[in-house]
Amino acid sequence: MSSITGFLSRAWVRWAITAVVAVALLVVPLLFSEYTNQNLARIGVFAVAVLGLNVVMGYTGQVSLGQIFFVGVGAYVTGYGATHDWNIVVVFLASVLVPGVIGLVVALAAARLGGLAIAMVTIALPIIGVPLAKRLSDFTGGSQGLSSAFSNAPDWTGLYNDQWQLYLVIVIGGATYLLTRNLVRGKYGRAFAIVKSNEAVAASMGISPYRYKVLAFTVASLIGGVSGFLYMAVIQFTSPETMTFSHSITLLASMVIGGAASIIGSLLGGAYYVLVPQWSNDINPNLTELLQGALLLLTLFLLPGGLVTLPREIARRLRRSRPDGGPERRQTPSAEPAPGREAVEETPTVGGIPTQRPTERQEQA
Amino acid sequence: MNRKKNLRLTGAVALISAVAVTLAGCGGRDDSSGGARGGSAGITDSTVTLGITTPLSGPTAGPGTCTVAGIKAYFGAANAKGGVKFGDGKTRKVEIKALDDAYDPQKAKSNYDQLKGKVFAMTAGLGTPTNRAYREAAISDEVPQVLVMTGDPIFSDKGESPMQLGFVPTYINEGEAFGKLLAASGKEHSVAVLSQNDDYGQGYVEGFKKGIEGASNVKIVKELTYEATDTSVDAQITQLAGTKADVMFNAMSITPLAIASLQKAQQLNWKPSWFLPSNTSSPKAILEPGKATAFPGVYSVSFAKAPQSPAFAGDEDVKTFLSDLKQYGDYSDVPAFPHCMWSYMTGATLDQVFQKMTKPTREDFMKELRTVSAFSAPLMLEGTSVDTTVDGQPAVSTVQVQKYNGTGYATVQSFG
Amino acid sequence: MGQFIQLFVDGLSNGSIYAVLALAIVLVNQATGMINFAQGGMAVLSAYATWWLTEHGLPLVVAILVSILLSFVLGGLIERFVMRRFERGDPDTAVVVTIGLLTLITGICGWLWTYNNKQFPSLFSLKTVDIFGAAVSVRSIGTFLVIVAIMLLLQALFLGTKLGLALRAVAINPQSAAFSGLPVGRLLMAGWGLAAALGAVAGALVAPQLTLTPGMMDSALVYALAAVILGGLSSPIGVVVAAWLIGVLENLAAVYVHFIGYDLKVAVPFILIFVVLIVRPQGLFGRKVVVRV
Repeated sequence: MSSITGFLSRAWVRWAITAVVAVALLVVPLLFSEYTNQNLARIGVFAVAVLGLNVVMGYTGQVSLGQIFFVGVGAYVTGYGATHDWNIVVVFLASVLVPGVIGLVVALAAARLGGLAIAMVTIALPIIGVPLAKRLSDFTGGSQGLSSAFSNAPDWTGLYNDQWQLYLVIVIGGATYLLTRNLVRGKYGRAFAIVKSNEAVAASMGISPYRYKVLAFTVASLIGGVSGFLYMAVIQFTSPETMTFSHSITLLASMVIGGAASIIGSLLGGAYYVLVPQWSNDINPNLTELLQGALLLLTLFLLPGGLVTLPREIARRLRRSRPDGGPERRQTPSAEPAPGREAVEETPTVGGIPTQRPTERQEQA
Repeated sequence: MNRKKNLRLTGAVALISAVAVTLAGCGGRDDSSGGARGGSAGITDSTVTLGITTPLSGPTAGPGTCTVAGIKAYFGAANAKGGVKFGDGKTRKVEIKALDDAYDPQKAKSNYDQLKGKVFAMTAGLGTPTNRAYREAAISDEVPQVLVMTGDPIFSDKGESPMQLGFVPTYINEGEAFGKLLAASGKEHSVAVLSQNDDYGQGYVEGFKKGIEGASNVKIVKELTYEATDTSVDAQITQLAGTKADVMFNAMSITPLAIASLQKAQQLNWKPSWFLPSNTSSPKAILEPGKATAFPGVYSVSFAKAPQSPAFAGDEDVKTFLSDLKQYGDYSDVPAFPHCMWSYMTGATLDQVFQKMTKPTREDFMKELRTVSAFSAPLMLEGTSVDTTVDGQPAVSTVQVQKYNGTGYATVQSFG
Repeated sequence: MGQFIQLFVDGLSNGSIYAVLALAIVLVNQATGMINFAQGGMAVLSAYATWWLTEHGLPLVVAILVSILLSFVLGGLIERFVMRRFERGDPDTAVVVTIGLLTLITGICGWLWTYNNKQFPSLFSLKTVDIFGAAVSVRSIGTFLVIVAIMLLLQALFLGTKLGLALRAVAINPQSAAFSGLPVGRLLMAGWGLAAALGAVAGALVAPQLTLTPGMMDSALVYALAAVILGGLSSPIGVVVAAWLIGVLENLAAVYVHFIGYDLKVAVPFILIFVVLIVRPQGLFGRKVVVRV
């Protein structure tokens, strides 16, 4: 284990891995079937949406139930611009900035409120967004929606549409991922983490919780806009149903299932969002809700920290199966345990990363 | 430092597993557009496969489930008799591949992407945005998207939608039929309108206005809307009752709200003649709990026999339909949504087209699709028929105005 | 004027639907410290149980009582075997688990009873009485009174009984609750059980109007959450008043405020929340939570 990580930490190895991944991403669209490409592109769209949600929720700890609204706004702006023959760069910028500005305005107000109240204000976005999209039918096409095939492959590329669209997702989505990664790994990321863990401490350190919450929220809306642009590029259609509240809830679930406060987790969350409905359809199209609910619960039972913790979980299990039991201690059952309250597992940590917040895990002993 | 390394490792493993997962089941580039030799995808010498994307979960799952059950019932029965005899002399079994889109356009497109290489044609799916989501893709892929359950006129416009055809009358057709009846009554009418705030409600109201155009005896006194997600329309009914209109035009597709509207109006002692669209006109599921007999007349439009109506209890079509639905459609209730009957008729219409096809290709299918006329599908009311030859109109464009008689419906020629 | 009063009364009866679900959410929150998205789904499941029992010949009142009992047991079991694993972990994960529960329960209802609308028998008749010139159905009045009764009961439970205090203690600080000898596990189960039982009442009250479908409570849930935040999480009276306020104001706004109209009336509770929380962050009736750092 340690030899592998040691090997991986060498600079040239990292560069080599980066290069391999980059080449793979460039080649992938050329190799796969149309359907696989379309699916990968869809995953990319929602992986970006989940990434945005992760910035505000996973990293900064502010519950947002409105992320799908920004995706919807981004998609509408893109659709409107594309059908009115705007320059594609202008379309992209508008599709990111409009949700960003809305996000900023909402955040300026909402970040004054605490925890649950922010959740309620953000719930309002998709709930009001749907009828609002219908009312603004001159821009949105009303309930019949807006379609635009602006993202078909240009002739000079010689590519199929699905390949071109997947390249768009890889380039734009990839850039978004890199920028976000740098943001959350840097000074802002540390500030977000402090705001998340304790606002009072943050304030005492000169970090204004209010300003950082507004910042995180705005970044999340900008990223939502990027996701909306890609949504329109891949699905080429949007309607008020895009912003339905239930999709926002599913995004939230995908974020937690993928892994909160994790870049890779966001990617896995996007995959979850797209693939699970397909799998449940393959098993039995009449039982999709039942299967999706069961799978969600099962995943969190096995991996409370999300899919991203799978390798860590496996490593932990392996170590546990060794006779000496690794670093983990057995918990001594208390003399008088509360009925039905079992000894809870201790916070699993590997390499210093707690998979759970280090709360009162070993209480009632 | 240790922390970062682990993240990196985790990341690499996670990324690889994510990619591996998506690759599972994918083939090469060729299989996306391929199919049987000499024919299109989804058709062999012994089978033809039809694809459906429709809501099977969520708020519209009730009617959505019906769109699958009806067509499965029809072709299940046909397959049991050996299959459908095609115009090229071969007899094929018809297979249905239905997927749930939960009324989400994004999922509908995804389902279409998944199905298009495997099915001969897409059909019967319910919903305007969900059908629109893959309309353009179906055109550019040249995949038929036919006899779909939306009254959106774009699907029946050959210029706009060369690979499409709607099945059910446009919302405009239905609204217009009632408007004309009212305009011809010879009496003065004031009309209150409550419509769903989307293309469904707007289409009905547009059609109604078209029907009463130029008629000086009909006046719309108030128009209100509601959202499909609302839990109550009490306030709207209260406001409309205040107008004391003698006709209520209620373009509503939500079962509980339709019942509640009827009940609320009675509580307010407002008893106008009432119009309900074909979606929400079920005698058992809506009019009976809504105590519709309290009104001077409840009107609806239809082209299908209502199985719950005692008038059709002994009807051969209805009996066959109900037993097919139970046996092959996996649907044991007497359907409260007309979509079950509609998709059964869709099956019968496709059967007609199949019989005419001389080549097993999508191209030939689309050609023959537009040649069915004066076909009286099972369950069709007298005076209505399937006619796919008129550009700009869906397969069924004629409807009968009916009046509720306390147990079922009777077709009426005049208002009152 | 007649119309105004009628709209006001209609609003109250709408608000009652939100109120009864909101009370269940408050109960779970007070007893376990979390927000349960599955509350509506559990209420629907209870309503199906009631409906199933009446279809098999039980009188409605008996069916409701049996369903309340079953729901209490089920709620306790869900806490013990599903939620317990997540209660001390990341709160976001716990919320997502309740979302998973909601999806699963909705799916189970759809599987067992289809997505078709079922007619649910009503406890109260639809006959109307005249109040200040407005027609009010006996059903609305009955629902109203049941809610007031539950509200007072809950208020008394949390403020006046040992059980209520113990439940709250566990929710606020399970560690010290355990130290002071409270059976934490059992209390958590009881909290979920009580909320589920209340959900059974909620289901029976609203199902006759909304007709029984797996997603019956979905739209009401958002309003109920709004009422919970508006009224203050800790106050049963507060959330009920807030729910009524929302019901009434949304009707009045739809009719009298032109730019809102019937399509955007759903914005009313959120505007209300916003205005109120800026002035009173703890909600209309909530207690201020003081956190020591």
